[in-house]
Amino acid sequence: MLFNSVDFVVFFFIVFILYWLLNNNLKKQNLLLLISSYIFYAWWDWRFLSLIIISSLIDYTAGLKIHNSNNQKERKRWLLVSLIANLGLLSIFKYYNFFADSFTELMSSLGWNPGDITLNIILPVGISFYTFQTLSYTIDIYRKQFKPTNDIISFFTYIAFFPQLVAGPIERASNLLPQIEKKRVFRQDYFNEGILQIFVGFFRKIVIADTLGVYVDTVYSNIEIYNSTTIVLATVFYAFQIYYDFSGYSDIAIGTAKLLGFKFNQNFNLPYFSKSLTEFWRKWHMSLSYWLRDYLYISLGGNRKGIKITYRNLMLTMLLGGLWHGSSWNFIAWGGIHGVVLSVEKYLKSLKIIPIPKKISFLGYFATFLVVLLSWIFFRAQNLHSTVLAIKKIFEFDLSRPFIGDINVVVNSLIVVLIGIGFDYYLYKSNKDLETLGKNYSVQKISMIVTMIIILIILFYSNSNNFIYFQF
Amino acid sequence: MKKQNLIYVLKVVFLILLFSFILDKIVFFSLNKISDRVYTGQSIGKLNQFLNIKDTTKLLIFGSSRANHEIDPTLLTNSGFNMGVDGRAIAYNATLIKLLPKLKKQIILLHIDPENAFKKNYKGKDLDALIIKYNRNKIIRNEIDKLKQDNIFQKFYWSLCYNGKLLGILRNYLFPKYNYKKYFGYDPIFPTEIQKKIFYNKLKKKRKIICKENFKINKIYNDYLNEIKEFCKKNNKELIIFTSPVYNDRCKTDNKIFNEIMKQKKIKYFDFTDFFKNNNKLEYWKDEEHLSNKGAVLFTNKLKKIIEFYTCKL
Repeated sequence: MLFNSVDFVVFFFIVFILYWLLNNNLKKQNLLLLISSYIFYAWWDWRFLSLIIISSLIDYTAGLKIHNSNNQKERKRWLLVSLIANLGLLSIFKYYNFFADSFTELMSSLGWNPGDITLNIILPVGISFYTFQTLSYTIDIYRKQFKPTNDIISFFTYIAFFPQLVAGPIERASNLLPQIEKKRVFRQDYFNEGILQIFVGFFRKIVIADTLGVYVDTVYSNIEIYNSTTIVLATVFYAFQIYYDFSGYSDIAIGTAKLLGFKFNQNFNLPYFSKSLTEFWRKWHMSLSYWLRDYLYISLGGNRKGIKITYRNLMLTMLLGGLWHGSSWNFIAWGGIHGVVLSVEKYLKSLKIIPIPKKISFLGYFATFLVVLLSWIFFRAQNLHSTVLAIKKIFEFDLSRPFIGDINVVVNSLIVVLIGIGFDYYLYKSNKDLETLGKNYSVQKISMIVTMIIILIILFYSNSNNFIYFQF
Repeated sequence: MKKQNLIYVLKVVFLILLFSFILDKIVFFSLNKISDRVYTGQSIGKLNQFLNIKDTTKLLIFGSSRANHEIDPTLLTNSGFNMGVDGRAIAYNATLIKLLPKLKKQIILLHIDPENAFKKNYKGKDLDALIIKYNRNKIIRNEIDKLKQDNIFQKFYWSLCYNGKLLGILRNYLFPKYNYKKYFGYDPIFPTEIQKKIFYNKLKKKRKIICKENFKINKIYNDYLNEIKEFCKKNNKELIIFTSPVYNDRCKTDNKIFNEIMKQKKIKYFDFTDFFKNNNKLEYWKDEEHLSNKGAVLFTNKLKKIIEFYTCKL
């Protein structure tokens, strides 16, 4: 079920009413959340519910076994069960065909043709997100940072909770599970914050991202016929499309959860207002970047084992982070670019050269944006061939007029993206978070602001596309 | 949930609905004022012009871009208007025809591409273009409702009809593209050198075409053809359906079957698909389906003879 569908509006309306009617009975309330989450997922394809249930069952058992055992070997064995089961499912469904294809290509280049060994597999929506979420649970228990729950319904609800099931944020058990196990109280400030964030999220997604997507799709589907300026313009548009698409989704997810009395962690914090790539990764898809930091980078040794190992860990983390996004060499290259630049930043920082004068420190914003922009080409292009073509075309420096196509599309895109950037700039300058913006607004003020957003959506929304991050 | 919280939620929801309903109507009526004065541009200006002249014009041409670019009404009559618009099909055209005045004698030329009439998945999406008049015209509203082409929120938020159109309306309002008083709906094509090159290159490539043999007319198409026929019969309209030329049509079965259907329905139908077959020149074309201005003039003159022969002096 898509957030930007009438189905979801009706679904959530019913869930919201039933949920608060059951407020005096936590167990029933959680059961309602679990059933509605499964309905939410089954709306897409009920067969893949079995994967979520299997994953949940394994980790529920593994969590308890790890916690209850004093034998380190046994603890490790159960952790391995969890890791192998979850990463195994992820590998089969997401990466098998990629590795099979790559293997075939490699063998063919060596003169042996193993034939077609790929399988006809559908990628289950949200598998990358809930796999990471459930893994964090067993790893935290193994590290003795978290105690498992005995309540199976609560645990299953934690894995399948519909606002964040298919595209995150990847919530840690330490944040979400205690909220599920505790009685929720309706809070007016949460309601205000949630409702504002939902509508801002809708605006970001169906107005900004989908409008920008029209031009981006046109150019990137036929990259060979466009000049440098067109490809640069399409890539700039894509940078904002993917940001507003995914942050819009996160806003709706976080806002929806707030209406049910849950507080998720922030997932985007104005990432394009970053003076370095390191800062960018503290603000972009935060639930993933902190997951990678805590469960991969630190597990590999982090920066505790010398400078060389630190760089290796950084590169590995970013390469795997890239691969997490999709089974393609493009995503690995994308992660690689980020890994290299992050390493360079780390190296420069370690040199402790004279601090950059404040007057020119703003250049950091542009430099960071340029690196991110370049890497988005890898992210958006269909394959490595298209990526190389796009970069080659850009560096031909054909600065003639860009392709415009439908002038309304381009003008609309510029207007809506400026509204988006303007709003982000306001948040940045006033040091405010969207998550808490509506907290102290009066009923009249929140209603008026939401009304304004509704009117903007009515006038400018674009035919909706799937959320970009659904494919991951 | 405590009673005070319930009241709070209801208050916020009620106020949002109330404020947005009121603001929506303010926006809707303000934009109506502006858009009603727009007479240029394909989507709104041309529609407004049509609504203005439909009651007094003798000959009206309907269809898609092929009608729009290929028939010059000034060569046919001194009281004609070409209402062909890019991407429009039978649902849009039939609805406009239903808006014509009752009993006034008028000639209606309707372009139909037989290939489209047999499309299984046609659901009348082209009717979307009339959504701008949804809340102001009963006939249009009924047609859109009938085909379920309206947005579910349209009945509450009327401004939805202006979705994606605001900038176009303002641009055409402030900077009209042409003098609409001298515009009769015909948009001739003067192919550019690039367009010619693309067309010639395309012709060089020999494409293999597999022609279908079984055709079943789309239900919506069929219903609309019947409705148009009935409307014209009842309201003193002379209906002529035609298919404009194609550079090289290699599949004929659809044309034959469509011709048969027209005969059964007793509708005057002229298939000009092969009009240029024996005298084809590249300069007559912009691409395989669209005539250049030169081709359009020749075709319009042919059409004039046919109309005069079968109907009356224009």
